[in-house]
Amino acid sequence: MNTTDPIAPVFYKVGNRQREWKLAVDGAGTWSRGRVPLTRRHWLKWRGGSNPKTLRRERQLVDKRPLWWVLGLGALLVATPFLSDQAISIASIFCFFAAVNVLWTLVIGTAGIFSLATMAVVGLAGYAAAAANVYLGVPWPLMFPVGAAVGLVVGGFLALPSTRLDGLYYALLTLGIAEICRVFVSQIKELAPMNGSINKVDSFIPEAWFLQRPGLLTGFFAAFVLLLLALLVFRLVNSERLGLALQAAREDEAFSEAVGIDYRRARLWVFVISSTALGVVGAFYAQFYRSISLSVFSLDQLMLLFAMIVIGSLGRAEGAVVGTAIVVLIDRGLTDFGPVRIILIAAVVIAVTLTTHHGLTGARDQFRAYRNRKKSERRALRAEKGGEVLPEEATEMPDKQEVYYRLFDKRIRDHLKTLITPELIEEHKARPLGQHSDALDRVLNYFRRGEMPDKYAILREGPMSECTYKIMAFSGVAGYPPRVVDDRHYDTLDEAYHAVFLLRVNDLLES
Amino acid sequence: MDASLIVYAVNLAAIYGLMAIGISLLWSSIGMVNMAHGATFAVSGYGAWYAAVTFGPALKAALGGTAFLMPAMATMLAGAGLVVGALFGLLIYWLAFLPIHDKQNFAVRSLIVTLAINLATVQVLLWAFGPRQKGLPKIFGFGRLDLFGVHVRYDQAATIVATTVLLGAVLMWLRHSRKGLEIRAMMQNAEGAALSGISARRTALPVMMLTGALAGMAAVLLSQTVFVSPTAGAIPLIKGLTIALLGGLGSVPGAVLGAILIGALEALTGIIPFLGQRYVLFVQFAFIVAVLLIRPRGLGGLLDETRE
Amino acid sequence: MSKLLEVKGLSAGYGPLRVLHEIDFSVDRGERIAIVGLNGHGKTTLFRAITHLVGWQRGTIRFDGTEIGGVRSLGEGRRTPSIIRLGIAMTPQGDAIFPGLTVRQHLDCGAYSKLAWRERARRRERIFDIFPPLRDLQGALVGKLSGGERRMVSVGRALMVDAQLYLVDEPSLGLAPKISRRVVDALMAIGLEDRAMVIAEQNVSLLTGKVDRMIGMHAGRLRGEVGHVELG
Repeated sequence: MNTTDPIAPVFYKVGNRQREWKLAVDGAGTWSRGRVPLTRRHWLKWRGGSNPKTLRRERQLVDKRPLWWVLGLGALLVATPFLSDQAISIASIFCFFAAVNVLWTLVIGTAGIFSLATMAVVGLAGYAAAAANVYLGVPWPLMFPVGAAVGLVVGGFLALPSTRLDGLYYALLTLGIAEICRVFVSQIKELAPMNGSINKVDSFIPEAWFLQRPGLLTGFFAAFVLLLLALLVFRLVNSERLGLALQAAREDEAFSEAVGIDYRRARLWVFVISSTALGVVGAFYAQFYRSISLSVFSLDQLMLLFAMIVIGSLGRAEGAVVGTAIVVLIDRGLTDFGPVRIILIAAVVIAVTLTTHHGLTGARDQFRAYRNRKKSERRALRAEKGGEVLPEEATEMPDKQEVYYRLFDKRIRDHLKTLITPELIEEHKARPLGQHSDALDRVLNYFRRGEMPDKYAILREGPMSECTYKIMAFSGVAGYPPRVVDDRHYDTLDEAYHAVFLLRVNDLLES
Repeated sequence: MDASLIVYAVNLAAIYGLMAIGISLLWSSIGMVNMAHGATFAVSGYGAWYAAVTFGPALKAALGGTAFLMPAMATMLAGAGLVVGALFGLLIYWLAFLPIHDKQNFAVRSLIVTLAINLATVQVLLWAFGPRQKGLPKIFGFGRLDLFGVHVRYDQAATIVATTVLLGAVLMWLRHSRKGLEIRAMMQNAEGAALSGISARRTALPVMMLTGALAGMAAVLLSQTVFVSPTAGAIPLIKGLTIALLGGLGSVPGAVLGAILIGALEALTGIIPFLGQRYVLFVQFAFIVAVLLIRPRGLGGLLDETRE
Repeated sequence: MSKLLEVKGLSAGYGPLRVLHEIDFSVDRGERIAIVGLNGHGKTTLFRAITHLVGWQRGTIRFDGTEIGGVRSLGEGRRTPSIIRLGIAMTPQGDAIFPGLTVRQHLDCGAYSKLAWRERARRRERIFDIFPPLRDLQGALVGKLSGGERRMVSVGRALMVDAQLYLVDEPSLGLAPKISRRVVDALMAIGLEDRAMVIAEQNVSLLTGKVDRMIGMHAGRLRGEVGHVELG
């Protein structure tokens, strides 16, 4: 006697739903979403929907990047006060460099202008602010506006050649400017009597606390605030109109100008804004170290900053911050290794550049694009035009009837293709209207059942006694009249019927 | 104007020209900006020094006192410089060209990788040989000859002659040889070149070894006046890059013209009273800035076959 | 003697678009074949699949016994030079020319084998016999030539080397009828002892009666003789 054990059903998870995080909400209440004050933007990008099976309301966070930002920066802020003195100063340096890099990304990433004058601007503004404080007695809170003003002026100068020179030529120009600044500053004896540096600069860190732990903590918190401000500036420029205009111009200048974007003015603005911000950073630098020296213009420092930007991603603020973190950790955290750490940084840069197209933060998108390409290639290998719906597409279609109809239609068409023979065509030519064979009937039924855009019409030209006929095709769209297919004209209606039949057969065989 | 100043200027121009042409050539043929050229320079200098230390005594023992000693030493040093330069060019080919030459974003990525190579190499040299400078034996002696009433040091004369010959040979090779034709075809239409059986990888290799050898030669020649040190490559790289850009990136004749101008400028700056040596870089940059503002594509921008 | 070119089950495309659907196709030595069909139906993709310039491809391609097909690996066009050097010469659609080189230099580029390079002067003369206008334009930059002259240079370049298989893609594209007839006549005049020539062409009338076989390509599939329905 045969007994069969009951088979436990196996459920295979199909589709994307299980990979998404959804919050269950009470559907009865109203949904109030907070907005950022003074704007109409929401804080977080929530999207509401219903679970297709249970029909309960649910929400999904579409853009999770604010979460990562808050987690990362929050961890930094909370953990640092508990670390050693050296760690705190490393964290401060990280915040400072990250701020510089974020602003640099605005120019080199969003606007696509290869500028190497960042530290030159920081240095010039820092020297101006320090000189104002030491020689002119300007109180330290006003050093920031002084730095900003200097940054503004320098930014204006930098913007002018940027639309004339492009790419590497502009990089060379800015490199030259940095070198010129260095020589210039070192030559002005009144400015810096002692080997080019200005000391005893007044600061937000009280003299007594300087180089002590309270001073380090103050410095760190101030640097953290600086980083937040830099991120704010980046966000305000990059994601708003100015940033979009710049990105369009970065891709193709001629097209963007044709669309009406004044990219010269946009570039001027981005230089002015980023340089002003860098001026503030310069003033901060002078206050943080309570002095400023020529090392701010050094090429090695610039190369290190460039490595930070490059490791992350040329164009995203996350990239600047991540790259800065990696390089600062290696550079300052592993000082025992000596010059080997520079080699390590270089090795990281090479590894990242050889494997990713756009830096570390672009790696996920790159991988996804690669996976999608492979998937679509495999799908192309399997799919046929107008054939069945593939499983991964079917789960996304809410109306399953449509899925089955496509399958049904395909089967009918395959069958009808086998029925089409020269004899069938001859049969129709001999007698378009009238008694037909079974095969011809089936074909004609399928044609008659088709949708409007697939059908043809016959146009009669001339008076009834001596008229000719032409074939027209329907557009299928309301408001658009049918159009004549070609120039051939037919003398009898039967010929016209047969011509329409041949067109339909052709369409069938091609589908 | 002292005629020896002209000689000095031409001497400098020759050495910088070697670097600049290497950079321009590489960009125009495979579209890669080689920021590691300075590293090639420094490494070749050390290679020549190592050869001098290892084989010098043997050569002195064998040929000491004869007239053959100088030429033999010169050949050995030059050979060492060329070989080490070419090998380093091979390393750059392997690391910065091969993995990414047909991938996205190649120009920027190769720039970054070569920059990193430069950075790493300087540190390696620092760690291996220490920061102090090393001197190379003076292969041309200290004599000078009188040419039409102008004092020319032996090493200056040799530099100018050697460079002219070398560069002339390279340019002739580019214009007339089969490899040169393949290189020019490849830079104008990559797909057409592939369909004519020209492989990008096989064409890039000799070009990179050649430009490496040129940098090596420059190192050996310049080390007659300057010591060999890990950071010795920085200034020649900057000068080479700026001259290449001044002449229009990709234009070899432009690079030559730029080299002559910059060499002259450097010589002039040295003797003008209130400027002096310290302002050399400053003046050169100011000049280049001025030129680029007037002609954004550099001097040779209108010449044939320049890649954007 | 084995067939010169054997293609079995070749599918190829770009990204999500599949252009060729399981093509089976073979070429014998001494044959002159025309592949005809409308634009966008896969003729160029077939040639590019043979020389490994498509997005992706599956199926076997055997050239003179050597397998050259296979899944496209990393870089597009990376294997192309080595495949070409096996003995294929291709004139791509729209001439891949080098704007800054002269006519003479173009022809020299085509001579990729050692033998062809050594006797390149003699072969250039032969090309000038086939396309007389080029003789006067020897030193001219190809970037400045007209469409017909460029086509002659492009075809001439493919003829410089003794390839086993000539792939000519749309020789009449963009040319006036008189010039395209001259180009096609030149192609027909080349004697193929144990070589083969495959021409992809839209204009059927140019080639009717002059080739050994004429295969139609429609929607990425080969369909025997020309067109199944005259309309549409």
